[in-house]
Amino acid sequence: MLKVKETYCTITNLLPNTQYEFWVSALNASGISPPSERAVYVTAPSPPAIKTKKIRSCENAALVCWESRDINPVDSYMVELSKLTDEENGDIITESIIGIPNCEVLIHLQPTQRYHISVRALNLGGSSERSEPVLIHTTGTYFCLNEDTAHPLLAILDDGFTIACDELENPECDLPIYDNSFTRCIGILGSLIPFPGKHYWEVEVEEDTEYRIGVAFENTPRHGYLGANNSSWCMRHIITPSRHKYEFLHSGMTPDIRITIPPRRIGILLDYENCKLSFFNADIAQHLYTFNSRFQHFVHPCFALETPGILRIHNGIAMPLCTAFP
Amino acid sequence: MALKQVSSNKCFEGFQKVFEHDSTELKCKMKFGIYLPPKAETGKCPVLYWLSGLTCTEQNFITKAGFHQAAAEHGLIVVAPDTSPRGCNIEGEDESWDFGTGAGFYVDATEDPWKTNYRMYSYIKDELPKLINANFPTDPERMSVFGHSMGGHGALIFALKNPGKYKSVSAFAPICNPIQCQWGKKAFGGYLGSDTSKWEAYDATQLVKSCPDSHLDFLIDQGKDDQFLSAGQLLPDNFIAACTERKIPVVFRLQQGYDHSYFFIATFINDHIKHHAKYLNA
Repeated sequence: MLKVKETYCTITNLLPNTQYEFWVSALNASGISPPSERAVYVTAPSPPAIKTKKIRSCENAALVCWESRDINPVDSYMVELSKLTDEENGDIITESIIGIPNCEVLIHLQPTQRYHISVRALNLGGSSERSEPVLIHTTGTYFCLNEDTAHPLLAILDDGFTIACDELENPECDLPIYDNSFTRCIGILGSLIPFPGKHYWEVEVEEDTEYRIGVAFENTPRHGYLGANNSSWCMRHIITPSRHKYEFLHSGMTPDIRITIPPRRIGILLDYENCKLSFFNADIAQHLYTFNSRFQHFVHPCFALETPGILRIHNGIAMPLCTAFP
Repeated sequence: MALKQVSSNKCFEGFQKVFEHDSTELKCKMKFGIYLPPKAETGKCPVLYWLSGLTCTEQNFITKAGFHQAAAEHGLIVVAPDTSPRGCNIEGEDESWDFGTGAGFYVDATEDPWKTNYRMYSYIKDELPKLINANFPTDPERMSVFGHSMGGHGALIFALKNPGKYKSVSAFAPICNPIQCQWGKKAFGGYLGSDTSKWEAYDATQLVKSCPDSHLDFLIDQGKDDQFLSAGQLLPDNFIAACTERKIPVVFRLQQGYDHSYFFIATFINDHIKHHAKYLNA
């Protein structure tokens, strides 16, 4: 209760996204009046927080998700974009998307541009302040690793793009296993934007590391090995006493291929339109192998280690010329 | 250098032609096939040389390989020469199918009675490209080579002996190490004499070991059911081992169920054309 002498009052320090009722009584020497009718107001929500580590993008789109900072649900969200140019009025909002019901949106963008994207929450009380913006580059494809899928023995290093495995003793071990994680194959899935067209990324490997890298459907069996089933496609490197051996696995089958220079940086091109998944030695622009497959669903990049070692993932790279192999 | 057109057939909107000319290297009349893609009508095109194998003429590749659609799509001129001089009336030239006529082995012979006419190395390296560039809308800076079996051996040695001349190279079931196989020993013995040190200059595996300066990206297809592979005539493992040692990039594909025939070539020719197009059209 607030005592005021004027016929107006400003009330501060209210909680965001909350409904309040206000009423007024008049007071004189004889006592208090009955209360007025109640006025109901809803305060505007707090600005959401964009999950910067979960942004996924490609040349033509971005998938942004965020979380609400209020306990109660809001009515909807609004996303605002500004395309960054080198001119002075660079930060003008160029597009708004309104009426977003969930905490996620797929936005269509133009290639090789930079955008600032921010989100506002909306309720009856109005719109929140703009969230902290995120910067998105539509150069190449950018994805993050899905930690929930990581085998317990697989560690993701601080940069978020290097995976490591120290020891292989007992892969079906006693460490906690989450529903979504790989249990036998020491692997992890990336979260690729579900968008058609072409996607390219590179993986830096070490000469003495055995690995499997490629793509897999979201529902690829977590107790399986990458490439051993029909929901995953991968390049596998094995070291035998006499040589480096390479397999290109899908449904457990591989062609018989010899590669004379062990690649240290492998380029992977996923082409939904032409139904191809291609692997390149990115250092010398050498094409290694192409799977021809009509992907029935969107896929995610997948990575697994079979000996102790590390894999470094590089993305947000424009497609090199050597991938113009049609 | 007068060219006489022998035949012309429209194919995928381009033309498959055969020409005949008097060769100064081989001292006889020689034929070659040339496919001119639709793009050649309006501009200069890169040239891809195909070298055929034992017993072939300029006809086999142009009628059986099924390369025209891919060549048209990528705008490549494809030249398919014959595999040896013809009609020279050299004694013994028709005695075997793997020596003499149809078996030039892409060398410059030093022994009699072959040394006057059997100069396929110089013919393919110098005379033929000069003739092609003078008479057709070619881009002389953009040239690549590929071939089958003996022609695969030819493609490998031309690429290795002439760094920078060819933008790309590939082969189907090539004879990779002729000094170690029966075919090679017979041919080199006959054309180059008994001093085996003179044979090494025409052996792809040896060339890799001794002058490994190749930045070329080799694509090789080999049928797993190829009778000549199991007979030890092709020896790709030796070439692969040498390239691994010398860090020369090779992708070697062993194709399940395929033999030595043009059916095998026709199956994978598109991959090879695309491989060359990537470098020739860059």
